[in-house]
Amino acid sequence: MLFSSITFLFLFLPLVMAVYYIVPNKAKNVVFLIASLFFYAWGEPVYVVLMILSILFNYFCGRDIKANEEDQRKAKRSLAFAVAVNVLILGFFKYYGFILNTLNSVLPTDIPYRELPLPVGISFYTFQAISYLVDIYRKKADPQKNILYFALYISMFPQLIAGPIVRYVDIEAQLKNRKISVRRLGQGAVYFIIGLAKKVVIANSVGAVFEQIADMPASSLSVLTAWLGVFSYAFQIYFDFSGYSDMAVGLGKMFGFEFKKNFDYPYISKSITEFWRRWHISLSTWFREYVYIPLGGNRCSVSRNIFNLMAVWTLTGMWHGAAWNFIAWGVYYGVILVMEKYVWGASVDRLPGVVRHIYTMVLVLVGWVFFFSPSLGYALRYLGSMIGGGAGIVDSEGAFLLFTHWLLYLLAVLGSSALGLRLVNLVPRMLGNEKAKAAAAAVIYMGIFVISAAFLVTDTFNPFLYFRF
Amino acid sequence: MKSGRINIARIMKYVILLLIVAFVALLLLYASGSSRPFDEVEESVSSSLDKSNLTLQDGAAFKRAFGLSGADYEGVMYYSSEFSISAEEVLLIKVNDESQAQEVREAIEERVEARKNDFDGYAPEEVKLLEDAVQSVRGTYIFFAAAPKAEEYLEVFSNSL
Repeated sequence: MLFSSITFLFLFLPLVMAVYYIVPNKAKNVVFLIASLFFYAWGEPVYVVLMILSILFNYFCGRDIKANEEDQRKAKRSLAFAVAVNVLILGFFKYYGFILNTLNSVLPTDIPYRELPLPVGISFYTFQAISYLVDIYRKKADPQKNILYFALYISMFPQLIAGPIVRYVDIEAQLKNRKISVRRLGQGAVYFIIGLAKKVVIANSVGAVFEQIADMPASSLSVLTAWLGVFSYAFQIYFDFSGYSDMAVGLGKMFGFEFKKNFDYPYISKSITEFWRRWHISLSTWFREYVYIPLGGNRCSVSRNIFNLMAVWTLTGMWHGAAWNFIAWGVYYGVILVMEKYVWGASVDRLPGVVRHIYTMVLVLVGWVFFFSPSLGYALRYLGSMIGGGAGIVDSEGAFLLFTHWLLYLLAVLGSSALGLRLVNLVPRMLGNEKAKAAAAAVIYMGIFVISAAFLVTDTFNPFLYFRF
Repeated sequence: MKSGRINIARIMKYVILLLIVAFVALLLLYASGSSRPFDEVEESVSSSLDKSNLTLQDGAAFKRAFGLSGADYEGVMYYSSEFSISAEEVLLIKVNDESQAQEVREAIEERVEARKNDFDGYAPEEVKLLEDAVQSVRGTYIFFAAAPKAEEYLEVFSNSL
């Protein structure tokens, strides 16, 4: 089920919220868990079984690690087994087709294989489970005794499908005891509406422009069209994914949970290092905590640190999908981050802010070309068109798309910084009276919700981009 | 008491792992898609069809019927009856990626509903055909059949993967 669907907005959510708010506190987790399993089963009626088995497996593994804590060797072995099984399951569903396909391409073989669809959200809930197990091993958390609470941690529907990746230590206390209030409900609704508008008004609209450009041959795009295409994709993926994250944070608040923010206006960054502190924060944090630091982090030799960075970024690329373009995208960022750290970072810091911003955005946009390209060859042809190797500087298609969508791009630019939200809240902030402020904000956000719902009614099925990861 | 719980956790994790392996094996047997090329699957399914009331249709007919463009997919095979009073049709699609599967499933459901409305009231046997229609999503392959031998065709489709 999609957050941005009529079924979710007007049936599932109101019904679940009504039951959740009516039942006594003791029963809230049961209601939330049933709702979460139903939410997942709606789209994945078969894979809900896999998720339940994964919950049970990790629940018992957590208890086994704790039981062995006095014998470090046994505890480590228990952790290694649990992590290996999780990685194997994820790897099987995500990479085995890719590996066999690659083998068939490079070797004179034609190994037939059965394809299984990727279970939605598996990358996210597997990473949550691994963080739980490692934190128990590191004695940062105790294993959850109540299987209901643990099942809820893994499966809670606001962040189940596309994150943010919530660490167990950040949410342990809330699973047992959390507050729901009208104020928090209102804050959650605001987050949710902003996220919904980001997705259905901006992401889907710029996504439609990107699709038009992506349908054209990559080598015959003008410079204008090629740049318009990559800007469209950059806005689409940002508003799509950050919109989903905002909705997840908002839904969490509505049910009494506090999730950390997953995006912090990444497109205002002035270096790639800063960009990755602002983009998909929960994934970067996960890789830092559970891969980079265990590998030695930066408390080691330069060569070892470079290896650590490249390993983390190659894995980050692979996490996004079983395709060479994602690996290339990860390696690309690994190289840039190594360069910023050891070669040109200090020089970049001395440049004027606007130049640093342009430097960052150009590198990010080139990165998105690798990300959206179906193959490396396509990516190179597309990049060629961006620097004039296609159909000249300007063509009629590009000019037409820019002329007919300039307002949408203006909206996207404003929404990519804090300025967008400041403009939305301008009128309420100007009013002196608290009641008048609240009333104005309610009217504005209700208006945004109605507009978003109107977009939804006329829109075709449009899942979130990060569902496939 | 404590050691008893430890043993249960250790035993249970292996038991659950076995269940996971069994579940994945069942998925591979009964729910998986295939790396086989579209042409081969199409050939198997097409050769099994009773073509006395089915004709291979082009992309325009597919678009009229399902509102989808055949060019968006890796392969489309669409057979339907030449007679407007018949609801018989068979569709095989290989989508490019799984994100396309949902739109195809929705288009098929809409098609079935629209056809039921068309035949409702004057051709109950055609409505029955649509009610008994079979649909299967196996990886990137989607199969749909509203035909007297729909179950047979479905089996051929499953075996051809």
